[in-house]
Amino acid sequence: MAHRKARSGNAFLLVSLLPAVLILGGFVLLFFWGFYQSLTDMRFGRTRVDFEGLGNYTRLFGRGRFWDSVSATAIYAFSAVACEAILGLAIAKLFNTRALLARWFRPTILLPLVLPPLSVALMWTTMMNPETGVLNYFLSFIGISNFSWTSKSETAMFAVVFIDVWTFTPFFALIIFAGLRGIAPEIIEGARMSGAKAWGIFWRIELPMVLPYILLASLFRLIDSLNQFDIIFGTTQGGPGNATDVLSVSAYFTAFQNLYFGRGAAIMIVNWLIVLISAIVLVKLWQFTRKRVI
Amino acid sequence: MRLTSRLLVSTAVVALMGPAAFAEEFDWRKFEGTEITWAYDIHPYADAVVAYLDEFEELTGIKVNAELYPDDTYWGKLNIQLSTGSPDWDVVGTGIQPAWDVTPAGQLEPLRGLVDDPSMTNPDYDYADFFPALTRAWTWDVAEEKIIDTPDGEIWGIPHAFENMQLMYRMDILERLGVEPPSTLPELTAACEQITAADPNVTPMAVRGVRFWSSIHTAPISIAQSYGVSDFVGSGDDLDTALDSADSIRFHKDYVAMIQACAPDSWANDNWYQVVDGLSTGKTAMAVDANMFGFWNNIEGASDASGQIAFAPPLTAPDNDEFASNIWIWSLAINAASEHKGAGWYFIQWATSKEMNVRGATDGKLVNPPRASAWETQEWIDYANQPEFNNFYDTFNAVQEKTSLLFTPRYGFGTAMNAWAVAMQDMVGGADVEERLAELAEDIRDELN
Repeated sequence: MAHRKARSGNAFLLVSLLPAVLILGGFVLLFFWGFYQSLTDMRFGRTRVDFEGLGNYTRLFGRGRFWDSVSATAIYAFSAVACEAILGLAIAKLFNTRALLARWFRPTILLPLVLPPLSVALMWTTMMNPETGVLNYFLSFIGISNFSWTSKSETAMFAVVFIDVWTFTPFFALIIFAGLRGIAPEIIEGARMSGAKAWGIFWRIELPMVLPYILLASLFRLIDSLNQFDIIFGTTQGGPGNATDVLSVSAYFTAFQNLYFGRGAAIMIVNWLIVLISAIVLVKLWQFTRKRVI
Repeated sequence: MRLTSRLLVSTAVVALMGPAAFAEEFDWRKFEGTEITWAYDIHPYADAVVAYLDEFEELTGIKVNAELYPDDTYWGKLNIQLSTGSPDWDVVGTGIQPAWDVTPAGQLEPLRGLVDDPSMTNPDYDYADFFPALTRAWTWDVAEEKIIDTPDGEIWGIPHAFENMQLMYRMDILERLGVEPPSTLPELTAACEQITAADPNVTPMAVRGVRFWSSIHTAPISIAQSYGVSDFVGSGDDLDTALDSADSIRFHKDYVAMIQACAPDSWANDNWYQVVDGLSTGKTAMAVDANMFGFWNNIEGASDASGQIAFAPPLTAPDNDEFASNIWIWSLAINAASEHKGAGWYFIQWATSKEMNVRGATDGKLVNPPRASAWETQEWIDYANQPEFNNFYDTFNAVQEKTSLLFTPRYGFGTAMNAWAVAMQDMVGGADVEERLAELAEDIRDELN
C-alpha cells in the first residue's frame, strides 16, 4: 500500500515537472539550432543550405570590423554598468536618508524602468537632435553649443551609454537600497559609538555589506547590456559609420538586412560566449564577496 | 450516316468560328465569393485603393481584407510571411529591391502567364501602357540563386505608384536669400555656403544619411551616375564594383564636401521623415528625395510649405549636363504560397488599372501614377498643373525621360549597398575618401566571391 502511494507520488512529481522540462528542452533545442545555423551558409531567400563548419567563424575573426564590434560591445556594456553602479549607489544612499529629496524621488525612480527601451530610444533621439533637440538648448546655457550626441562618431557611444545609464540606474538604486536597508542598525550604531565617521561607516561597513547586491545587479545588467539592441538600434542603428555597431546590431544587419543568417548566427554565438564568460566571472566575484560578508 | 453528317456539320461550324469560340472570355465575376488578404504599408498609395475597395467587391464579388502596417513592421512581416510559405497574404505590396531577394527562392508568383492570358486579364488592361522603365525594372529571370536581367524574363510585380528622385527647393526661402537653384553638385555646395552666410538658422539642404541602402537610392546613386559611377560594372561572373575608381573618388569628394557644407548635424540619423519635415516646416531650403513628397506638401492646406516647393532635376557632375534619376516603385505582387492567386490577380489588375491610376492621382494620393496614359489624361493634367504644384508636372516629364532603376539587379543587393551607406557616413565623418572607398570595394569584392 505504502509502495503504491510512493509510486503514485513519483508519477505526480514527474507530470508536474514535465512542462518545465519541455520548456527547458525547447530553449536548449533552439540554442543548438542557432549554433547549427552558425555552421551553415544559410541565407534568406535561398533554398539550399550547405554545412560550412567553422567557416563563418574564421571569416569573422579575420575581419577588423568584427573586432571593432567586439570592442564597441565591451565599451558600451562595461561603461554603462560601471556608471549605473556608481550612480545607483549614490541614489540608494540618498534614499536611505530622511532627506526631503529622497522622499520626492522614491516614488518616481521606477519610471525609466517601466518604459519600453525602444520608446526610450525614440524619446532621446528627439531630445538629442543637435539642431532642434531640447538637450542642446539646455547646454547652450552653460556655453556648449551644437553638441553632436548621436550624430557624430566621436560622441555617439557616449550618447547611447548615457541613455542606458538614464534608463537602468534605478534598477541598481533599488537593489542597493534593499541591501542598505538589510544592514542591522545595531552594526551602524555600534560603529558610531566607537567613534567612526560617516565616510568610515560607508567605506568599511556599508560598502562591503552591499557589495554582493551591487555585483548581483551588475550581473543582470551586464548580461542585458552585452545583448543591448533596442536602445542602440533605435538611436544610431550602429552608426555613424560603425561607431556603435555592437555585436547584436551587427548580427541583425548581417542576418536581416544582408540576409546572411549563418553569419548573423555566428556573431550571436560569439556574443553569447562573451556574455557567458563575463557572467561566470561576476558570479565568482559575487560568491567571493558574499562569503566575506557572511 | 446521320451521325456522320452531324459530325461533319459540327466540324464545319467549329472550323468557321475558329478557336476563339472555345477560348474562355474574361469575366470579372469568375472568382465571386472568394476572400483574399492584401497586405501593404500604411501609405497614401494604400489609401488610394482602400477608398474604392467597395467598388471592387461589387464588381467582382471578391472580398478584400486590407492589412496595413507601419513601414518598419511591414517589411519584417513580409519577409516572414514569404519565407515561411504562409498562404495568409495573397497580394502584397513590395518594391523591386526586396523582390530580388525573394524571387530566387520562388516566393513570389510569376505574372507573365496571367498578363498574357486573355481569360484572366481584362482586354482593356493594357500592360504596355506602364512606363517602360518601370515594367523593364520588374522583368527578370532567376537561375541558380541569381537574377538574370533580361527584357524577356518573367514579370514579378505590377507598378502601383512610383517615386523618382528630384531636387526640391523652397522658392520662398531661396528667393528671400537671393540664391539660385543649383544644377551641379559643386554649385549646390556653393549655394549652401551662400544660404548659411545669409541666414544661419536655415539648414541649406536635407538628404537621407542613415546607414541603410535607402540613403544611397535617393541622391548618391542618381548624382553618381552623372560622374560615370554606378554600383557595379560588368555582369555575370565578371561582375565587379567600381566604387574605388577615379570617377567614384571624384564623385565622393564632391558629395562629402556637399554634405559637410549643406546637411544638418543630424544627417547620419536622418531618414525620409526628417528630410520631408525640414522642407515642409521651412527649416530646410532644399532636398533631394522622392518628388511626391514635394507634391504632397504642396497640396493646399497640407503643410506650411503649400505652394512653395518647386522641383528640378537631380544634380549633375560639373562637366556633364546629363542627369539621371533613380526610382522606387511600390508594386503589387502575388505570394507564391497564396491559395487564391486568380482572385489576387483580379485585385491587382483592378488596383493598377487606367481608371484607378487617374482616380488615385487626382485624389492627390497615387503620385506618381505609373501609367503613361495617366499623364496624358486631361483630368490629371489639370489637377497636377494647379498653381500650388508649381512646376511639378513639367519637371516630372523632363526627369522621367532619364529615369530608370540605377541599381544592378542582384540577389543580396542590400549587402553592398548597406556597406556603401556606412562608408558614406565614415567619409562624411572625416575618413579619407580614397582609403575608405578602397576598403569598401574590398568588402564588396569579398562578398562577390
